[in-house]
Amino acid sequence: MIRLLLNRLVQMPLALLAVYTITLLLAWVVPGNPLEGPEGRRPPPEVVASMQARYRLDSFAGFYTSYLADASGFSQLTSIGPTSGPFFDLGPSLQYPDRTVNEIIASALPVSMVIGLAAVAFGLVVGIVAGTLGALRPGSFLDAATFVIALVGVSVPTFVTGTLLQWVFTVNWAIFPVAEWGRPRDLVLPAVTLGLPTAAYIARLVRMGMIEQLASDHVRTARAKGLSEFRVITHHALRNALLPVISFLGPALAMAMTGSFIVERLFVVPGLGQHFVNAVQNKDLFLIIGVVLVYATILMLMNLAVDVLYRWADPRIGSV
Amino acid sequence: MARIFAPLVLVILLLLGAFWRTSGRPRADLVIVNRTEVSTLDPSQLSWQHDFRMARLVYEGLTRQDALDPNLAILPAAAESWEVSADGRVYLFRIRGSAKWSTGDSLGSDDFVAGWQRMLLPDAAADYLTLFHLIEGGQEFSQWRATALQTFTLDPERRGDAQAAAQLWQETLTRFQGSVGVKALDDRTLEVRLIHPVPYFLDLLAFPAFVPQHASTLESIRSIDPRTGAAVWASIWTKPASLVTNGPMRLTEWRFKRGMRFEKDAAYWDASSVTLGSIDVPTINDPNAQVLAFRSGAADWVSDVSPGYRGDMIAEKAAYWMEHAASIGPLLRAGANPIEVDAALPADPSNLVHVLPSFGTYFYNFNCGPTLPDGRANPFADARVRKAFSICVDKQSLTGNVRRSGEPVAHTLIPPGSIAGHVSPKGLMRDDAAAAALFAAAGYTAGAGFPEVELLFNKDGGHDLIAQAVARDWARALGVKVRLVQKETKVFSADLKAGRFMISRASWFGDYGDATTFLDINRTGDGNNDRRFSSLALDRLLDAAANQSDPFLRSGLLAEAERVLIEDECPVLPLFHYVEVSLFDATRLQGLGAHPRQIQDLARLRVIPRSRAQRAAAP
Repeated sequence: MIRLLLNRLVQMPLALLAVYTITLLLAWVVPGNPLEGPEGRRPPPEVVASMQARYRLDSFAGFYTSYLADASGFSQLTSIGPTSGPFFDLGPSLQYPDRTVNEIIASALPVSMVIGLAAVAFGLVVGIVAGTLGALRPGSFLDAATFVIALVGVSVPTFVTGTLLQWVFTVNWAIFPVAEWGRPRDLVLPAVTLGLPTAAYIARLVRMGMIEQLASDHVRTARAKGLSEFRVITHHALRNALLPVISFLGPALAMAMTGSFIVERLFVVPGLGQHFVNAVQNKDLFLIIGVVLVYATILMLMNLAVDVLYRWADPRIGSV
Repeated sequence: MARIFAPLVLVILLLLGAFWRTSGRPRADLVIVNRTEVSTLDPSQLSWQHDFRMARLVYEGLTRQDALDPNLAILPAAAESWEVSADGRVYLFRIRGSAKWSTGDSLGSDDFVAGWQRMLLPDAAADYLTLFHLIEGGQEFSQWRATALQTFTLDPERRGDAQAAAQLWQETLTRFQGSVGVKALDDRTLEVRLIHPVPYFLDLLAFPAFVPQHASTLESIRSIDPRTGAAVWASIWTKPASLVTNGPMRLTEWRFKRGMRFEKDAAYWDASSVTLGSIDVPTINDPNAQVLAFRSGAADWVSDVSPGYRGDMIAEKAAYWMEHAASIGPLLRAGANPIEVDAALPADPSNLVHVLPSFGTYFYNFNCGPTLPDGRANPFADARVRKAFSICVDKQSLTGNVRRSGEPVAHTLIPPGSIAGHVSPKGLMRDDAAAAALFAAAGYTAGAGFPEVELLFNKDGGHDLIAQAVARDWARALGVKVRLVQKETKVFSADLKAGRFMISRASWFGDYGDATTFLDINRTGDGNNDRRFSSLALDRLLDAAANQSDPFLRSGLLAEAERVLIEDECPVLPLFHYVEVSLFDATRLQGLGAHPRQIQDLARLRVIPRSRAQRAAAP
């Protein structure tokens, strides 16, 4: 276990470096000057020149090394840059001159984490219950119903389900508010919208696992011992059926927590997802790299957490 | 089972709890929906309409405009009075003794000097730097500093040396004091020297780029980057906790991508005239959610309805006005503006939609350079060709059938009625036969020998539909082949700047109340002259106007300049003037102006609380 952790923690910076290099290369070759807006008065040439010098946008090599030094904390350790900034300094935002990328991520990430966790929690509860119910009587009406719901959840895009939920619950019934964020009830619709595909996927995973488990020898043995059906299902069948769910949780959490552009836009949620799209459109170089690095870090940490959880849940894996 | 999921559920609950902040504050007196996040409240970085709108809430310049006056009359603001020298070049402002910063410090002339000095420094990268070139020595100062910074960065001896950078900064300050025509004669007297008489200078001073900046705050957050020698102002200063302002309201909360809250500033000298206690400005990007927020009563004013919603809303509104034409006629004749008309009409959902003129024009650029980007001779260098292309476009059908957004057809670059005292020429009317004749006279009878025309425009915003309609008109009237070239916005602007186009879409919004805000972009070599247009006649007229102190003669020169531009030379083909489509209840929200420049005095609006009955009647 410790070897796994150490291994991964050593790999992480290398993987991040690769992510950084590829992202910066791609963002750099996109045409257009990030310092100029599409419309309106152009800044005079001397201003553009001084800005390019300040942000080191005049040379790829210069930008590559100085950004790397700032973002990795190297500048802080060796105090070659401004010493007042944060340790991992992801730079200024070119689009929002009053914000640094650190500030933008610090304000958006918690929002995305809340909505992502709520969505995955919703997905877990609904998915496990629906999957188990379906597996108990394969081919029954209940199974067909959960199958249809799962199919809809996976195949209908979030902008359709989101708009539908919004239309029903905010326009027609006025149960939930429009475009507000800050109270628990503001979370419900976006979390359900974002969690539906997760719920659907988990339901299918659990159903398949359960059907296999329920037909297995150890479940027959458990039943023969005279255990209650509930105990057989929860302690013997479900436990094993959930293993694939755990491995799915890592990417699902990372995906949900870094936000969804569409859900955020529909429900006016101030999360991280919008920055993925907007930063690229605005060629906000610092923000692009910042969100990609944060996303990559979260994804790696989640995968690591899942691996740890997996070994913990199934001791056989650790010994292999 | 429990062993796996209990900790997971616990972690989820803990995180949810930890990040959850409840906000139980009451609704503000006025809620305005912003379509995009305000990008900055730093006066040197302002460049968008919604930024300016918020900046006008928290800052106040030497003067301000009366938003309800049809000519946007100038009122004294931070300055209580001023004197202008006989030649119109020297202004002496007396700062109001009661003018205060939100901290309670008194506002002094040095705060204006500090602010304007920062605007002139290329370090601050102000979009509106060039407006300050009207000040004596301003242009020379900013160019000197830009060169000095460049030399510093290239000098291996000094680059990275904090002491050398500080020395350059001191030198810069001394140079500013010695050479730039803005001086604090005493605590409350500010002298401004201009390079030539600027009749609209008092109007310009109300523009948020000219507001004062709290000198000691600027001092405390400024550092000099030893790597570039440039001054850097920490971005922390525009956050609610540290932002020092002098306007009617102050920023009390700014949550990124969520919204801002402003509250009345008791320190403001004219606080008794401020009618609103608080204003909330949520950012709602989604068109659907904007309209829902208004209809559910969560917002009082959606200032800029997304294009997708406009067509139907405007059609309904037009039908509603037709229905009440009998009562609207007398109101308009009595001088009521459209908002006042709506307030007088019976309540109806369509009555909440307002189509107001805006200070911008949508037009096409003709590349006027001698050669095309690929080196071929440019047929559009010939004014006859440009004119032929200009007079065969069916603009009426463009606005009525393609756009359907209530925009008026444009025959001039300057939106009519937007600038007091400016009389635009009539412009060119559609005449297909004359277009064909001109085209033939230029040597291209029925399009023979004319190269394939490339029309460049950017993605989104419906530019493709406009381009299709215009291309069809050109093909029909002139017999030319037109290729539509659609590009990503950033690529589009790069192409535009580098002159890599034959004809391109364009738009321009004016900044201040003078015709030069639209005309100067056509001067030879202007940074915004994407057309590479150069006309000695136009440049001479603009120069003559700049040096003319008699307002009557000056406006004659500017009218002639616009006529030369759009009737003789035609480097631009105006298509329509923009409008702003907004949602508000004119009987509840009183004091919004209908002037095309859309300057609003938000702090002094009157908002009548929505009664239960009105809420029931809301759509």
